[in-house]
Amino acid sequence: MTTDRFNFAGKSIGFREGQSIAAALTEAGQRVLRQSAKGENRGMFCGMGVCQDCLITIDGLPNQRACMTPAAFGLEIEPQIAFPQLNQMPVPPTATPAQILEPDVAIIGGGAGGLSAAIAARKAGSSVLVMDERKVAGGQYYKQSASHPPLDAQQAEGATLLKHAQESGAEIMGSVEIWGAFDGPLFLADVGGAALVVRPKTAIIATGAYERPRMVPGWTLPGVMTTGAAQTLWRSYRTTPGKRVVVCGSGPLNVQVALELAQGGSQVVMVAETASAPWQHPWISLKAITADPGLVFKGIGMMRELKRQSIPLRHQTSLHTIEQVEDGLRATFKTASGSEFSETVDVICMNDGFEPQNEVLRLLGASMTYDGAMGHLRCDRDRRMETSISNLFAVGDCAGLGGAPAARDEGTIAGRAAAARAGFGSAQDSYPEDRSLARHRNFQNYLWKLHDVRPKLPDTSAPETIVCRCEEITLGEILDGLETSPGHAGSLKRATRVGMGRCQGRYCGPVATRLVAQITGKPIEDLSHFAPRAPIKPIAISSILAAQEALDDPE
Amino acid sequence: MIPNDILIVGGGIVGQITAIKLANAGAKVTVVDAGINAGSTANAGSLHVQMQSRFMRIYPDQVPNIEASLPLYLRAVEEWERIDAKYGPVEMIRKGGLMLAEDQKQLSFLEKKAKREAKKGVSVEILDRHALEQIAPWLGPHIIGAELCLNEGKVNPLVANRRLRAVADGLGVQFLQDRIQNLTVGKRVEAIGQTDTYQADRAVIAAAWGTGALVGNFGVTIPSVGEPLHMNITEACSARIDHLVQHAERSITLKQFKSGQIVIGGGWSANDRGLSQVPTVDPLSLLGNVSLAAQLVPTIGNLRIIRTWAGMNTTMDGASVIGPLPASDRLVMAVPGDAGYTLGPLVARLAANCLLGKADHSVIERYSPARFAN
Repeated sequence: MTTDRFNFAGKSIGFREGQSIAAALTEAGQRVLRQSAKGENRGMFCGMGVCQDCLITIDGLPNQRACMTPAAFGLEIEPQIAFPQLNQMPVPPTATPAQILEPDVAIIGGGAGGLSAAIAARKAGSSVLVMDERKVAGGQYYKQSASHPPLDAQQAEGATLLKHAQESGAEIMGSVEIWGAFDGPLFLADVGGAALVVRPKTAIIATGAYERPRMVPGWTLPGVMTTGAAQTLWRSYRTTPGKRVVVCGSGPLNVQVALELAQGGSQVVMVAETASAPWQHPWISLKAITADPGLVFKGIGMMRELKRQSIPLRHQTSLHTIEQVEDGLRATFKTASGSEFSETVDVICMNDGFEPQNEVLRLLGASMTYDGAMGHLRCDRDRRMETSISNLFAVGDCAGLGGAPAARDEGTIAGRAAAARAGFGSAQDSYPEDRSLARHRNFQNYLWKLHDVRPKLPDTSAPETIVCRCEEITLGEILDGLETSPGHAGSLKRATRVGMGRCQGRYCGPVATRLVAQITGKPIEDLSHFAPRAPIKPIAISSILAAQEALDDPE
Repeated sequence: MIPNDILIVGGGIVGQITAIKLANAGAKVTVVDAGINAGSTANAGSLHVQMQSRFMRIYPDQVPNIEASLPLYLRAVEEWERIDAKYGPVEMIRKGGLMLAEDQKQLSFLEKKAKREAKKGVSVEILDRHALEQIAPWLGPHIIGAELCLNEGKVNPLVANRRLRAVADGLGVQFLQDRIQNLTVGKRVEAIGQTDTYQADRAVIAAAWGTGALVGNFGVTIPSVGEPLHMNITEACSARIDHLVQHAERSITLKQFKSGQIVIGGGWSANDRGLSQVPTVDPLSLLGNVSLAAQLVPTIGNLRIIRTWAGMNTTMDGASVIGPLPASDRLVMAVPGDAGYTLGPLVARLAANCLLGKADHSVIERYSPARFAN
């Protein structure tokens, strides 16, 4: 029941307790949230604080993310203009004193891996601080809701894990934006406008992954979002992204979310899967069944459910273009035979695989190896999940895609090992987790072989395709830049501005790296990517001021 | 007579413009650059003229040279005007630079400094709070006055670098990636790199802080030192901060690009990681530099910093090094003193003229590498 309201562009918008501003606006049919510097409309895309496209002005304060900010009574919200007036902004409040914390084990990310690590490290007796970017921890797999009981077994499993972590005595802080990671380690963060300084004995990075989009003409239009963003709307806020929805890309998440959105009341017109059907690869399918029969049968069950609900699942079908039309978005798809067809929908969900959120690890200098099959970097780790940097551990998808069950095992192993490093317990006894981890990794190996998550480049026959959402740089401009500055992703960045915007190259960066590799013929490695730099996410100057005062204070 | 082939060591602002000048005159030009860690690619585009208080504080012994170089700075910004007109636009804005004072002592320092600068032909005036408010209403209330240097301004180095590279490419200049490690001079110049060896009639050394080591065998000790410096940039806003902002006593530069983004820098240190790696960000510099900016311009507190980076600045004795080495006129130095990007185009022209047989002796005399002869 809607009880509370805020204003958006002069309109009164109702919201439910626990909803994000983005969810409330989506429910009210407000998809356009900001205008870009070139005058294009933008809306929520990633739904998880990465893309910086859902920016709005809240009570005069510009550039706030609608997807990460809880709705509250009486807020005056305006769509974000590209160039806010400095002198019309409220004078920043005098900085609240920063908090300085020095736990034995600091864990960044409260998902499957981070929460498991917290429980294990607490069990060993160390003090534990878990920091999560969202208000409610749980991560992208378990997607918790602040106000609703679990929808299904997956959410219930997450609720139990979160409860165990809370009961373990670990301190779990929400709404923490880690923006700086420096040697020591020293972490600088913002918590709702206040500064947080964390100097732990050991650190476990469990920052997960974000979704890889399919870059086609029109992918920046409001109403186009990642599959995970739509899933968050439904699972965390009980909001459907729109009435008519099409889901496309590759991987099991797309099928799962299609069913969830249908359950929520959306009409899912199709799931388009780039890969060919699994029954065309009987040997790999059989291997996957052997590796984890439970998960495979869960997958088969989802396919059956799609059929029962008459939601077509079309294999070897790829999104080609998106156009804004009068009654929504027209998505055009291409089939394996080259034929095209279109669907007009309200919302297009896309997931073409995942990119690890490895910014903290790269900033701290942890060594990485390129995984060509998945098209992303994997963090080098030993059996106890320790990186090349002593006392720095990495678990879950941030170290390379592995899935939630593997993240849980890695979390437990790393939690124990980090606690041992801080002087609590022993890291030796992880035999059950080691075994189960091997099984999960084996399954993941076959699972991804059945999908099409090879790194792709945008179609060069459509040079107008935007590659860098923030700076609005097209594929054509990047290809031109490659001719004059072919040497490195960094020089391409300076020549074209690709990756210079607010999201800091999270979507365009991997593409720029691949294009440079293609033209130079050099293999991709860690240094092929944009150099990692603080801030990890854009950070308000007022928060930097507060952190400065805290560190300056001799106390 | 134009030498038929010329090697330029260093592909930053100096190397690029020298290459353009020489190629324009008909020479065959090759630029070799290590492709990492350059000053020009990390530069933030301030066009400095007035003496930077940072330099006067950190390198007091260099002040006489900096002061004597003021006319060179005046010519350097004029050279940028020509670059902007000929190869730009490079988002050049020349509305002047403000050096801020928070108390009477700082203001007196600026008054004395302004008098010295005026004697060298620099357009400077001292503004009180009231006058300052008319042109910079965004300044914090504790700023009591400032020195305004009308000659100063800013360019967008990303745009300038890109345009100049395209011009050089168009003239057939060859750009190669390698790190030159040793030079020998016989009948020809031979430059030994990590991956290859290069020969030319003559060579221009536009290698910034790497210069001293490269020419150490030729009877000169050029004290070129790299300073890894920190920079920050905000997201865009519409307020027009037209001036280049500095402070009388503290290290800062602050300016706004045409994109609406505010760039904050001014000499905070970064972590040097040697020749083959880019310098990394020092958290204390990030915090200190940005906090100082927020104190001077409080309303930027609501903006977010979206990126920081580090680049190398070059210092020597406060003056540039321009012209042939005493030991061999086949090696021509082209190294700006402190504000390298500001001085770059002018230093390039003066060095190119040496090779084209029309050296401006009266200008470059005091910048000759001969002053470092062993």
